[in-house]
Amino acid sequence: MNIRKTAIITVSAIVLAASAYAAAHSPISQRKAAMKEIGGQMRSLGGMAQGKTAYDDFAVFSAVEIMLNNAIAARPLFADSMDMGEETRAKPEIWAAGSDFDAQMGQMINALQATLDADPADLDSFLPLFGAIAATCKSCHEKYRAPES
Amino acid sequence: MRPRAKALVAAGLLGLAAWYITAPSKLDRNDWQSPRGDLARGERVFNIGGCASCHMDKGAKGEARLALGGGQAFATPFGTFYAPNISPSETGIKDWSALDLANALLRGVSPEGQHYYPAFPYDSYQRMAPQDVADLKVYLDSLPPIDRANTPHDIPFPFNIRRSIGVWKALFLQDGPIVETDETAGQYLVEGLGHCAQCHTARNVLGALDNRRWMAGAPNPEGKGRIPNLTPGGNLASWSVEDIAYYLESGFTPEYDTAGGTMVEVVENLSRATPEDRLAIARYLKALPALPNPPKP
Repeated sequence: MNIRKTAIITVSAIVLAASAYAAAHSPISQRKAAMKEIGGQMRSLGGMAQGKTAYDDFAVFSAVEIMLNNAIAARPLFADSMDMGEETRAKPEIWAAGSDFDAQMGQMINALQATLDADPADLDSFLPLFGAIAATCKSCHEKYRAPES
Repeated sequence: MRPRAKALVAAGLLGLAAWYITAPSKLDRNDWQSPRGDLARGERVFNIGGCASCHMDKGAKGEARLALGGGQAFATPFGTFYAPNISPSETGIKDWSALDLANALLRGVSPEGQHYYPAFPYDSYQRMAPQDVADLKVYLDSLPPIDRANTPHDIPFPFNIRRSIGVWKALFLQDGPIVETDETAGQYLVEGLGHCAQCHTARNVLGALDNRRWMAGAPNPEGKGRIPNLTPGGNLASWSVEDIAYYLESGFTPEYDTAGGTMVEVVENLSRATPEDRLAIARYLKALPALPNPPKP
């Protein structure tokens, strides 16, 4: 095998591996995974907020911490609109002029950080913080997420 | 009589019958007991009835949701409708009596005696209790007056002939309950005041709700996606009564996903209703006959 052939095969293999990696780790799939994780933690918080499960301040703190990490990770993944042919419910309005999408992501991060700072010891002090977090989910989804098709 | 004369007489009689059948029919003044309206109760009727969602400026939030100057456009297969001004101003409904409002909601007839287009969902509102109409009137009168002229509907022939709505009414207007159920409180809110079926039930070619597919989901009139099937055979099968009530209050599904599309507005309205009202709606939905999801279009 000559060097040229080896080089071509090597480069092809790298390109193939890179595109496979990109599909699994594309900004879209990464931010989807982050949002899913945030939703999952929200569910456990919601169970406590609704009184379905007993209030547990340790569980609240760890759930909010996971949400915050994912929110911080997701924010830059929305930086550009390149979709690589993947399905996404992110609306083009996110990248339109005058969009306040990034500010809304900031508000979610602030609401989560405020909850960690307060480290609420009981349900009564947790409820308003939970309400503030929930409001950021709703206002951003309302504006920037398309309905399920 | 010669055959031609006979045919003419027959056509004339048919025409008269058609004219009679399609005539707007107002409530009998003597049947309207003029119940005394109440402001606080009227606010509940207003919120469950969802008046603001169509009659406010599109996307209004907070106090602006109570400025009901109309103007929102609704594109349909029959043309584009523009919500009218229902604020208590000269260009709105300042001069209306409670009976006028009752004729609009319960009969789909304007104070001038014209049919309204069923884009205004009186096929649901006709089930409203007279007391609720009277309460709503007091509440509407308390809202800020907006001076804004109505935008004429943009409706092509033949739907632009108002009288043709009389045919539609004769064919499809049906008061009384849609399904048999013991959940009468929720039935009133879903089938009547809340007019949920206007989005959640599929329509026939003339735009009337298909009662055989009651609440079993429909194409999304705004394009993408589908409006969910709310019968126990559909999307809510695994939701408890409390899950549904919580969703209507908070906008969060049991999976802690958020409400989307026009349902965001509905949650905005129903979050202002009472817990009992939301539970009543939920119990009615759980008691519906289970229907499968409609096939993909």
